[in-house]
Amino acid sequence: MASSMLLRSTLPRSFASATGRNVLRSALQAIYSGTVNDPTTFPPSSKTHGSYHWAFERLLAASLVPMTTAAFVTTGSSYPVLDGLLGISLVMHSHIGFDSMVVDYLHKRKFPIIGPAMTWILRTATVGVLVGVYQFNTNDIGLTELIAKVWTA
Amino acid sequence: MSVSARVGLGSAVRRAAFTPAIGRNQIALRTAILKRGVQTQSLPPSASQEILNAQRLKRPSSPHFTIYQPQLTWISSIANRATGGALSALLYGFSLAYLVAPGTFDSAHIIEFVAGLPEYLKYAGKVVLAAPFAFHFWNGLRHLSWDMGKFLSLKAAYRAGYAVLGVSAVTTVALVLM
Repeated sequence: MASSMLLRSTLPRSFASATGRNVLRSALQAIYSGTVNDPTTFPPSSKTHGSYHWAFERLLAASLVPMTTAAFVTTGSSYPVLDGLLGISLVMHSHIGFDSMVVDYLHKRKFPIIGPAMTWILRTATVGVLVGVYQFNTNDIGLTELIAKVWTA
Repeated sequence: MSVSARVGLGSAVRRAAFTPAIGRNQIALRTAILKRGVQTQSLPPSASQEILNAQRLKRPSSPHFTIYQPQLTWISSIANRATGGALSALLYGFSLAYLVAPGTFDSAHIIEFVAGLPEYLKYAGKVVLAAPFAFHFWNGLRHLSWDMGKFLSLKAAYRAGYAVLGVSAVTTVALVLM
């Protein structure tokens, strides 16, 4: 009798497998996890997704200001490197903006299928856009030149 | 008889009390069949998540988005997002179109198409492109100054917001007339 009591208190795993749920037995109480009453989970804290991402986003947006004004006063053909940098920065800025919209309006907590799907569709689209911008800047007149010409067409 | 009437039990009790023995069983049987038993269904614990989500979908919510008073703060914020999204969608659409069909979407065709449009449509197109760009540009600067700790009080945010609206209008006119 005494030995079976001891066994029960030191080996809780038989009880856990019987119910199919996790039962962590501390000294006097049982904690259930894996039910619908669990609190919401938080993503692990990481500087890459937190403060570094924020700083990168602001620095990128700030760098766009002198780049657009410079592209405005010159032409794309005279400074192709500027044109290329502007194209890449604009695409990155747009991607971060779209990603924030997906996180805000289609979070995977509420949209377990559409949320992650849209994230990956956005990433694929951004890769395609980068290739398209490269092709356009290389084989054609480039973004700033196009805007200048269309504006005065 | 008089007792049941005073207490108010009514005709049902009188009928039940004064029916002959043969009829009593029929009444008991009828009440048992008319009364519906509680039905239960056995479900595993994993079904709880689905039940909870189904209930959450049926829950009502008070109006919030539809009744919030329009204010410069949140209107300018969502306008910043909307203008940025629209301009980026244009960039993405054009780049992907050029990638897929470079023959149809190259610069020569686009310039030719725009040059063939009537004057009023060209001006309208310029306004439609310049206004969101101007607003997003200046409001973006306002946002970056918040990130540096400036204009964070309500008064200052409103003043900066009105300044952004004014400068955006001037910039739009300047760009369209260019």
